[in-house]
Amino acid sequence: MQTSKKGKFQIGLLLLPGLLIFGIFTVYPIIKLFLMSFFEWDFGNIADQKFIGLKNYRNVLSDRYFRIAFTNTIIYTFVTVPGQMIFGFLTAFLINQITRFKVGYRVLYYLPVITSWVIASLVFKYVFNTEGLLNYFLVHILHVTSQNIRWLDTRWSGLWIAMFLGIWKGIGWNMVVFLAALQTVPADLYEAAAIDGANAFKKLFNVTLPCIKGTILFALVMLTIGGFNVFTSVKMITGGEPGHQTDVVLTWMYHKAFSTGAFGYSAALSFIITVVLAIMAIIQFRMMQQKD
Amino acid sequence: MKKKTLIQIMLHLFLIFSLVIVVLPMVYMVSTSLKPNGALYEYPPRFLPGLEEITIENYLYILGQGKFYINFLNSLMVAGCAVLLAALISSALGYVIARFAFPGRNFLFSFIVLTMIIPGLTLIIPQYQLAVKLKTINSLTGLIPFYTAWTIPYSTFMIKGFVENIPKELDEATYMDGGGVLTVFGRIIIPLAKPGIASVSIFNFLTAWEEFPWANTVINDNLKRTIPIAISGFFGQHQFTQWGYVFALSVFSLVPILMVFIFCQKFFVAGLTSGGVKG
Repeated sequence: MQTSKKGKFQIGLLLLPGLLIFGIFTVYPIIKLFLMSFFEWDFGNIADQKFIGLKNYRNVLSDRYFRIAFTNTIIYTFVTVPGQMIFGFLTAFLINQITRFKVGYRVLYYLPVITSWVIASLVFKYVFNTEGLLNYFLVHILHVTSQNIRWLDTRWSGLWIAMFLGIWKGIGWNMVVFLAALQTVPADLYEAAAIDGANAFKKLFNVTLPCIKGTILFALVMLTIGGFNVFTSVKMITGGEPGHQTDVVLTWMYHKAFSTGAFGYSAALSFIITVVLAIMAIIQFRMMQQKD
Repeated sequence: MKKKTLIQIMLHLFLIFSLVIVVLPMVYMVSTSLKPNGALYEYPPRFLPGLEEITIENYLYILGQGKFYINFLNSLMVAGCAVLLAALISSALGYVIARFAFPGRNFLFSFIVLTMIIPGLTLIIPQYQLAVKLKTINSLTGLIPFYTAWTIPYSTFMIKGFVENIPKELDEATYMDGGGVLTVFGRIIIPLAKPGIASVSIFNFLTAWEEFPWANTVINDNLKRTIPIAISGFFGQHQFTQWGYVFALSVFSLVPILMVFIFCQKFFVAGLTSGGVKG
């Protein structure tokens, strides 16, 4: 159908607010960030920025602290993404088999998802504090150690707490997504598999998982993005301490930008993260397509 | 029959067991908020308060503070406005992209979707500079356009999917009756895509209600703080943290989210599962 002049005007009218808000508050900052990453742009010299080419990128990539933060982010993502998916899928799988109280379980398992990151982080910090409940439990009730463990003061235990929180908070989302997917698997496929003598495991791997491949990919991509976005939990639980050992890329970027004023450095870092994330998303799509 | 019942019981036992682990931290939060707010860390720490100890003094303390109401209203106002704006803007975008072949349509849509990959916080420096330029640093209403802009990509992506499921014949019938593009938008698209718009809006409300890093960066004024910043302020301000207050305030801040979630459960699940997952 040919759109009239008036129609075109109205289409423009509908597009305008979106383009304006999106353009000003998202697209412009993206472009600005990209430009900043090639300039010497610090708190000290806001007035005259010098073009320095790829120097910011070199500084980031050769920075010991960035490497620690990047490694931490990768570990966080590679632990929490499968962790959330496996527990979320198992929960969905079980809920899908039961006949009663489905909704009740779904609501309760979803509670951590709707709890804000700030609150969840504070609860975990409270539990894992050196004088907190967990240590008391380990020392005085289970007697597995004689001394309180300083969970928040070493790189790996600090990271583990953040990862534990990430998995705990994500199970509910995965449960809901996988539950919906499981309900789309045709029942006659299971019947056919049963006639062929397939056991529960074979049904799971040969019927269920291939049928929900689309959902697995969707969850994988979304959760990987989420893993790289981790910020509030690390910032609140360890604050990157001790000595930036538990920083992830975003907390390190935030520190460089707002504590040291190294805007050019932070801009380059931001672009490196985005590119890494884009590459990972492409790889995930490719991997899932190849399995066809 | 017997075997089936046994399996059901086993499944329930397993689900309840893991559920206990999942809700444990939440229970501990509520239980701490009901304990007297005494020492830095109670010793020995206990999971539940003794029955005679249970007190609502922490809640009364929070309710007795004027700034609690202000912080709460701040959050409601910012999240509410951002959600409404995002719903309107994204519906319009989703509709136009789904229905009209205007020049640059594919580019626009791909670009919107691609921005979802960029970690939101990486844009904080140029966005901060933008906020300085627009004089919206330390301004509550200044948060709204940023939150709206952040939720547009996901919302547009989802709503476009919903619009594509609305039969085109309905549009055409409206055109036959002499209606224009805007008439279709108001009379067909918005009413029929409502479940989708609702589910996206619940999600956006959650995002805006709990947003921490940006508000924490641009808002300094005590009375302009949103709830998450107020909670973290309680936590950071003093040398020792009064956990009873922190968790009482946390419980309060969860109430609106719980209400939205319980009343809109139906939409919530619909939004998570359609659009993105097909196949």
